[in-house]
Amino acid sequence: MNKQKREIMLTKIIIVLCLSIMSLYGIEEQNIQKVMDTKVKQVLNNLKNKSMSQSQKDQKNVRIIDEVFDYNTMAKISLGKKWKTLSNNEKAQFTKAFERKIKHSYLDKLRLYNNQKVNIKKLKKVKSNRITLETQVIGIDDTYKVIYLFYKKKQNNQWYIYDVELVGVSIIQTYRKQFSEFLKTKSVHQLIKSL
Amino acid sequence: MRFLHFSLFILFFTLHGCATKETAPESNSQQSNTGITTTTEPQEENSNVDETKEESFEDEFEKEFSQNEEKETYDPLNRYNRAMTSFNDSVIIYGLTPVSKAYASIFPQPLRLGISNFVHNIQFPIRFTNNLLQGKFQNSSNELERFIVNSTVGLAGLMDPAKHYMDIHPHEEDFGQTLGHYGVGPGFHLVIPFIGPSNVRDIAGITLDAYLSPLVNIRGLENYKIPQNFGESVAIYAVHLINKTSLHLGEYEDLRKDAVDLYPFLRDIYEQKRDAEIGE
Repeated sequence: MNKQKREIMLTKIIIVLCLSIMSLYGIEEQNIQKVMDTKVKQVLNNLKNKSMSQSQKDQKNVRIIDEVFDYNTMAKISLGKKWKTLSNNEKAQFTKAFERKIKHSYLDKLRLYNNQKVNIKKLKKVKSNRITLETQVIGIDDTYKVIYLFYKKKQNNQWYIYDVELVGVSIIQTYRKQFSEFLKTKSVHQLIKSL
Repeated sequence: MRFLHFSLFILFFTLHGCATKETAPESNSQQSNTGITTTTEPQEENSNVDETKEESFEDEFEKEFSQNEEKETYDPLNRYNRAMTSFNDSVIIYGLTPVSKAYASIFPQPLRLGISNFVHNIQFPIRFTNNLLQGKFQNSSNELERFIVNSTVGLAGLMDPAKHYMDIHPHEEDFGQTLGHYGVGPGFHLVIPFIGPSNVRDIAGITLDAYLSPLVNIRGLENYKIPQNFGESVAIYAVHLINKTSLHLGEYEDLRKDAVDLYPFLRDIYEQKRDAEIGE
């Protein structure tokens, strides 16, 4: 019993540590465009680099996006009202599973679109704590509009990405709808498993 | 009228925002009150305050995202759509993708790109007309310029010098978007065999587009159309589809992986995308 408690405590500490490390990153408002521009370039360079293996590329790219993607907030939004009904343990499990899902999905997409050019178009301050950054991805035969949505974290005044819109389709909105439909008939545990 | 609705909507949300801002500290104090009554554990009080902070932060997101969810998708043909989605899915995975892969290995990319450009160029009447119908005159004139340049200098549309050298980009519009532009709602969702997700409005749109597209045969308009019968139209569509897929290999399979349940996933993506296109 005691051992179990200790284990739970330990995982809690690890989670808190992870969270505090995450919150060290983020971007300052005036730097969003610049930082995103260099990040996009870094990712594209990594993808084009022939001396690295695919898993090395993935690792490098994950590190680049980890600094600005707020997976915790994404996970929360994607579950909507249901989030509050989860136990702390479930929350942690779900966030972890969701983060993995998002990362894999993003990396898979990057792998496909490796010969493309990306232009940063315009930054728009929607609200005092919301900014959108419009970018244009130029593919072989089409161009796609990709919008990154940022929010300002109150605690440290840094900006983080909480959603990405690909050709008008919000990734988090799509997950939200799917999850809410899934949870109508199935449990959170099943959802975590299916992720 | 649309503007009126829109501004009312915004007004509602800004007022709503003010209200929650004011109530937030109140609920805070309420929470800490309950914390005080149970004074035995001071730590709990702390976590309570934290939670309320988090809540208002979450509520803000909740509002932002539930805005678009208010219109619950009306889906009377759910069962048929589901079946048709899995049919189309198998067609793509076991038919279209392998064929497109083989096709891509035979024909070099520049040629495939040329065909794609050609098909896009010849469908100029659809884009031109619908830009006009939506009052986007600058876009229509861009389309006209693109058509003239690409049809001549661009070797009958095989190349796209208008985009690459003159920086004139296409403006994708179709009748479905024009209808949406004038406030026609999507109606219920309907998956078409071999074509994919659509809805009542867009099917009406596709039908009207078919009159303008030189690539679909219509009886009585033979002089204007390339295919002279239904079979030829289908053949052109098939080649176009294979050619297009060959330029986007793996994308569908990749997208599909993000789905928890394929049908509602593709349906929502389609509807979101169309809404965004109409709003542009």
